[in-house]
Amino acid sequence: MARARLTPRRMVIMLGTLLVVLIVLLLAACTIGSEHIPLADVARTVGAKLFGSQNEVSRENSIIILAIRLPRVLLAIVVGAALSSAGAAYQALLRNPLADPYILGVSTGAAVGAITATLVVGSSPLIRPAAGFSGALVTIAVVYALGEGRRGSISERLVLAGVIVNALLSSVVIFMVTAAAGTRQRSVLSWLIGDLGAEWTLIPFVAVLVGIGIAVIYANARSLNLMMTGEEEASALGVEVRRAKIAVYLAASLITGAAVAVSGVIGFVGLIIPHAVRLAGGSDNRLVIPASALAGGAFLLISDTVARTIIAPRELHIGVITAFIGAPFFIVLLRRTT
Amino acid sequence: MLEVRNLSFSYERPVLNDVSFSLGSGELLAVLGPNGSGKSTLLKLIAGIETPGAGVVSMEGRDVSSLSRREAARAIGYVAQESIVRFPLSVLEFVLQGRFAHGRLLGFESEEDERETIRALELTETVEFAERKITELSGGERQRVMIARAIASRPRLLVLDEPVANLDIAHQVKVFQLVKSLVADEAMTAVVVTHELNLAAEFASLAMLLKQGSLVAFASTAEVMHEDLLRSVFEAELHVDRNPITGAPRITPLIQSAPISARS
Repeated sequence: MARARLTPRRMVIMLGTLLVVLIVLLLAACTIGSEHIPLADVARTVGAKLFGSQNEVSRENSIIILAIRLPRVLLAIVVGAALSSAGAAYQALLRNPLADPYILGVSTGAAVGAITATLVVGSSPLIRPAAGFSGALVTIAVVYALGEGRRGSISERLVLAGVIVNALLSSVVIFMVTAAAGTRQRSVLSWLIGDLGAEWTLIPFVAVLVGIGIAVIYANARSLNLMMTGEEEASALGVEVRRAKIAVYLAASLITGAAVAVSGVIGFVGLIIPHAVRLAGGSDNRLVIPASALAGGAFLLISDTVARTIIAPRELHIGVITAFIGAPFFIVLLRRTT
Repeated sequence: MLEVRNLSFSYERPVLNDVSFSLGSGELLAVLGPNGSGKSTLLKLIAGIETPGAGVVSMEGRDVSSLSRREAARAIGYVAQESIVRFPLSVLEFVLQGRFAHGRLLGFESEEDERETIRALELTETVEFAERKITELSGGERQRVMIARAIASRPRLLVLDEPVANLDIAHQVKVFQLVKSLVADEAMTAVVVTHELNLAAEFASLAMLLKQGSLVAFASTAEVMHEDLLRSVFEAELHVDRNPITGAPRITPLIQSAPISARS
C-alpha cells in the first residue's frame, strides 16, 4: 500500500531528482545568451567561485557568467521557488486548486506596496520587500473577505474576487507608475508582467526571506494536509487551525511580497507548478511544498531563458511566457474542478 | 463519560439554550429535531471545535474546552456533515490523517500509525479501496472512509453529523450497523445526528429531541419515539406503532389525501 501514500523513499527520490535537474539547468542557462559560453567554462567559473580555486576561464567570459548571467539565473530560481510554494500554500489554505498569488490578486497587491514604498521612501531596497509583503497581506485579506460565502469560501467566487481585485490593483499600478514618470521607477510593463532583468543586489536578502517563508510553510505541512479537507474536520483531528492559518498566510504573503518586489508580477507559476507536482507525487504537502519550490525555480529559469533569447537581441517580459503556458492550464483545471 | 451542563450558544441569534444531559459509556444516542434546532451545533460543542457561550461540556471529567486540540482529538472522533475534498488524496492518506493527534508535527507516520489506520480501514470495510482517490468514491464509500478517519485515533466518543444524508437505504443501514458495531465491539460511545427517525429507532439506545435550541426530551429511544412528542416537535402528522418484525417503534408520516378535484 506504500504506493498510495508519501514515503520517505519517494520524497528523497523526487526532491533529489528535482535538485539535480535544477543544478543542470542552472549551469546550462549560464551558457545561453548573445555570447555562447561553453558549459565547461561555466562549471569551472562557478566551481572556482565556490571553492576559491584558480579560474582559467577568460576574464571576459567569467565576468559575463558571474556578473550578468548567474545573478539573473539565481533570481529566476528564487522568484520561481517563492511563487510556487506560495501557490501551493494558498491552494491548501483556501481548499481551492485554482488559487495562485497572481489569480488572487496578491502579486499585484504586493506590486502596489512595493511601488508605494519606492515613491514614498525612495529607492531604499530593503524597504521594498517589506512593503510588498504588506501589500500582499492586505490584498489576500480583502479577496478572502469578498470571496467567502455563507458556508466557507466557494471556489468560483474566490477566483472572481481575485480577478476583480487584480483588475483594480493593476490600474493602480499603471496610475502610480505613469504619474511618477521621470523618477527612477521601473516601467509599467516591468511591474505588471514581470522582469528579471534588474535588482541583482537584492538577491541574497530576498533569498533569505523566501527561505524563511518556505520553512514556515513546510513546518505546517501536515496541518495543511488536514486543512485541505476542511477546517472543522482538521480542528477535530487535532490541528490548531487558527495558529496554522495565521502562520501560513503570513509566510505565503511574505514570500510573494519579497519576490514581486524584485521581479514584478509574474503570473501562473504558483498555479502550474503545485499541480504538476501533485500529479507526479501525490497531494501530501510535506512533498508538495519543497518540490514546488525546486520545480518552480526550474520552471521560471527555463521561462526566463526563453524570454531573453527567443527574439534576441530584444527581450520578452517573462510574464508573457508564463501566461502563454499558464492561461490554457488554468482553463483545463477550471473545467476539471468545477 | 459525557456530561453537558447548562450549555448555551449563539451565532447571531441563539442556537442552543440551556441544554443539560449526561451520557454513560456504551450508549448510542440519536439526536433528533427539525432543521435549525441546534443539532449540528451541539455536536461541534461536544467535539470542542466550537466554544460554549455558557455552560460546560466535559468528557471523562475534563472540560473539553480546556483540552488542547490534540488531547481532544485523541478522545473524541468527529465526522462532519459533508466534506468536499477537491484534492486527489488517496483513501489511505486520508485515513492516516486521523493519526495526526498521535504523531509529531513534522516527519512521517510511525508503524503504529500505520497499524491503527489499517485497523480503521478494516473495521469500516474500506480496506479494499485504500489505494483509490477519495475524489473517486461513491457517497456510501466516502461516508465509511470518513468514519475510518475519525476512529483511526482510537477515540472513546464518536460524534457523527447526519452520516446517512444523501445515501440510499442500503447504505444508510450499513452506516448505522457500522456505528452500532463500533459501540458494541470497540467499547465506543456514539452521538449521531440524523433525520432518519426509523433508523434511529432501530439502532439507537437513547434518543434526544431538540426544538429551537432547547432540549425537549432525552430518554430511551422507545420513550422518546412517542407520537404526541414527535408530532409537537416536528409539527407534522405522524403515526407511531411497532415494527412487526423488530419490535422497534415505527414512525409513519400521515399524508392527507388530496381533494377529489385535484385527482385526474
